[in-house]
Amino acid sequence: MTDDSLRVLIADDSGTDRLILKRLLKRIGHEVLEAADGIEAVAIFQREQPDIVLLDALMPQMDGMEAARHIKALSGGRMVPLIFLTSLSEAEDLARCLEAGGDDFLTKPYNRVIIEAKIHAFGRMQRMHDTLSRQRDMIHDRNQHLLEEQTIAKRVFDNVAHTGCLDAPNIRYHASPLSIFNGDVLFASPRPDGGMLVFLGDFTGHGLPAAIGAMPVAEIFYGMASKGFGAADILKEINRKLGRILPTGRFCCGAMAEADFKLGQLKVWNGGLPELWLIGSQGEPVACSSRFLPLGILPPERFDSSMETLQARDGDYLLMMTDGLLERQNGEGELFGEAGVRRTFRERREAGHPFEALLEGVEAFSEGARESDDLTLFCLEVSGDTGLAALPESATSSALAGPSEWRCDYEIREQTLGEFSPLPLLLHICMEVPGLRARSGEIYTLLSEIYNNALEHGILALPSEWKHSPDGFEQYYAERQRRLKTVGDHFIRFSLHHTRKPWGGQLRVICEDSGPGFDFSRHPVLGGGERHADWPRYAGRGLFLLKRLTKDITFHGKGNRVEIVYDWKRPVAESDDGAATDPGKQRQ
Amino acid sequence: MTDKPHLDEEALAELQDVMEDEFEVLIQTYVSDSRERIAALKRALEHDDADAFAKTAHSFKGSCINIGAPRLGELCLVAEQAGKSEDLTGADAIIQGIEEEFRTVSEMLGELLVR
Amino acid sequence: MSIQTRLADDGETLVISIEGRFDFSTHQAFRDAYEHGESGVHRYVVDLTDTTYLDSSALGMLLLLRDYAGGDSARISIENCNSDVRRILSISNFEQLFAIK
Repeated sequence: MTDDSLRVLIADDSGTDRLILKRLLKRIGHEVLEAADGIEAVAIFQREQPDIVLLDALMPQMDGMEAARHIKALSGGRMVPLIFLTSLSEAEDLARCLEAGGDDFLTKPYNRVIIEAKIHAFGRMQRMHDTLSRQRDMIHDRNQHLLEEQTIAKRVFDNVAHTGCLDAPNIRYHASPLSIFNGDVLFASPRPDGGMLVFLGDFTGHGLPAAIGAMPVAEIFYGMASKGFGAADILKEINRKLGRILPTGRFCCGAMAEADFKLGQLKVWNGGLPELWLIGSQGEPVACSSRFLPLGILPPERFDSSMETLQARDGDYLLMMTDGLLERQNGEGELFGEAGVRRTFRERREAGHPFEALLEGVEAFSEGARESDDLTLFCLEVSGDTGLAALPESATSSALAGPSEWRCDYEIREQTLGEFSPLPLLLHICMEVPGLRARSGEIYTLLSEIYNNALEHGILALPSEWKHSPDGFEQYYAERQRRLKTVGDHFIRFSLHHTRKPWGGQLRVICEDSGPGFDFSRHPVLGGGERHADWPRYAGRGLFLLKRLTKDITFHGKGNRVEIVYDWKRPVAESDDGAATDPGKQRQ
Repeated sequence: MTDKPHLDEEALAELQDVMEDEFEVLIQTYVSDSRERIAALKRALEHDDADAFAKTAHSFKGSCINIGAPRLGELCLVAEQAGKSEDLTGADAIIQGIEEEFRTVSEMLGELLVR
Repeated sequence: MSIQTRLADDGETLVISIEGRFDFSTHQAFRDAYEHGESGVHRYVVDLTDTTYLDSSALGMLLLLRDYAGGDSARISIENCNSDVRRILSISNFEQLFAIK
């Protein structure tokens, strides 16, 4: 038998008609089963599972109509064509055959050509149906499998995409996934100096391709943030990495904010996300619109990670969002849009939290309408007290052994002063000392205070009192950028020296710059001279901070060389070789 | 009553072609089937069962058409209609006509087999 | 959604017009528009006169066209955008990569 061969059941009480039909079907290669009445037909159908049934409409015992109903019920999900054999000619009778589940008719006298054509057509239809059913089952199985995999992958993705210190008391966020994965990622990390870094990204597309870029971005972000790198450096690295791994046409719209709560300063960068908003308790909200191409498009040498610097007070809010929020629609199909955001802020009551206001605003606007895109909204409250440890727990458990007696000199000069921050590197060296990692926040603060002082006041000669007014603040940072470009042959030289002490250790840092120096003997805090309202160096909180943190601070030479001595105590539970003895570690 | 031919020569030729060596079996089956149908018609009439009369005539009609005996088929149709209209008053005469035509058809078919 | 292409009178500019939504559903048609085009094309015009909407996957498709047309040396202008479309292009700062008219 050929592939096209079918098993055909003929049910007819007339032996003559059965004989003719059987012969016709056998001639074209089909297998024939015979029944002389309806009951026999149903029984054979059940036992033999034929492919096609030819039923005489009028038969003794059980007529064709009733047999048809039984057979249809028995065939379940299979497609079994049912063809009535009839010499009925009344339209009403034919209609009853169809109602009983018939798919077609063959009228007597039998016509060989028509019979062959009909059987052939139904055979083909049935094979198509079988193929479709098989494919449907296969797709169903595959889909089931895929969903299971995605559920596992989503758990991994969620661990990566919304991590860090997002549970900090000054952070609020809302993320609503459209698909099982969305392309939105939100990261936040404390900085070693007590500040915070935030990244909000929106990868093109949805699903796995959109989610996959999140992994390397998370790794870069958290890795570099904990080492003290600033936003600009991290952005460069993310852009480089995404440019390398994402195919052309795929990219990540993103924004990063670096908050320094002590200075009341926010540095922001926006490449392709909707406007970021800084909302103060007084004054108009400030928008920072996207000024750069999204991440992963430009080659490293053309990528610009210049940060915009904003002044912020305690209690101000920074809002970041993905375009899912702007693309929410109301019943009429209108978009919420930037206009909606502005309107919400305008109508917000003084006391209301802008995060709540915006979420409520967009919900009220799009009431009943379906979310059309991933929507992430993030809000950071500028607050001196974040309630956070400077570094996540996990980072403190390493370095059970390492160097404790060492010194190192490091000098950066000329153009590099404007392009590179030595702080992550210096911090990294210090963190190799067993036990010192727990102090990374303090160490970073010490290093950054004396470095920034040397750079901004010692070399660039920027007056710090500019920072006391909002206008001056902007002027200060604009001027800083400008002067860095023409820094000339200046240098800053660090000399770090660590020694072990019975109580822990001592870190001495000498920082020398090539600037003109200052008369430290007359400094109000240092020398006890008369108060000077606009003292050129160490006028702000910086010096008080240094004095509070260190055992000793002295100025040398013409005032361009500062030396600090920082003593640190090993926690009681730690033994001499630096290995921690807390019970959790001993079990390992 | 009808001017249809006793046998449809063309249809029979095609059947002969299709059935090949089974043609003889087919004719014999038809003849014995038909005898049974005629007996059944008579039984239905005795019991005054118009429905059975119509159904039997209907089936009989189908095989007559298939075998190529159009005139007999036509007579069966008349019988079927009488049964359907539940008026068996002229049924005796109809059965007589059918029996007569059947004799003619079976003779002619017999000749066909001998040839 | 439908995409039409024609060669401009100068014989070296391929004009690709997109009607309706320019989103992922146009992916294949958009690629076909420039990949199977005539030879001798040195400039591209993406005409968005009848484009009602553009999403981030369309931005990706524009980057693919830019890559195809020679990357930094590509000569592509995006023309006749409505305000919504222009807003999306400018949020992503695509004027740094394309001539947007």
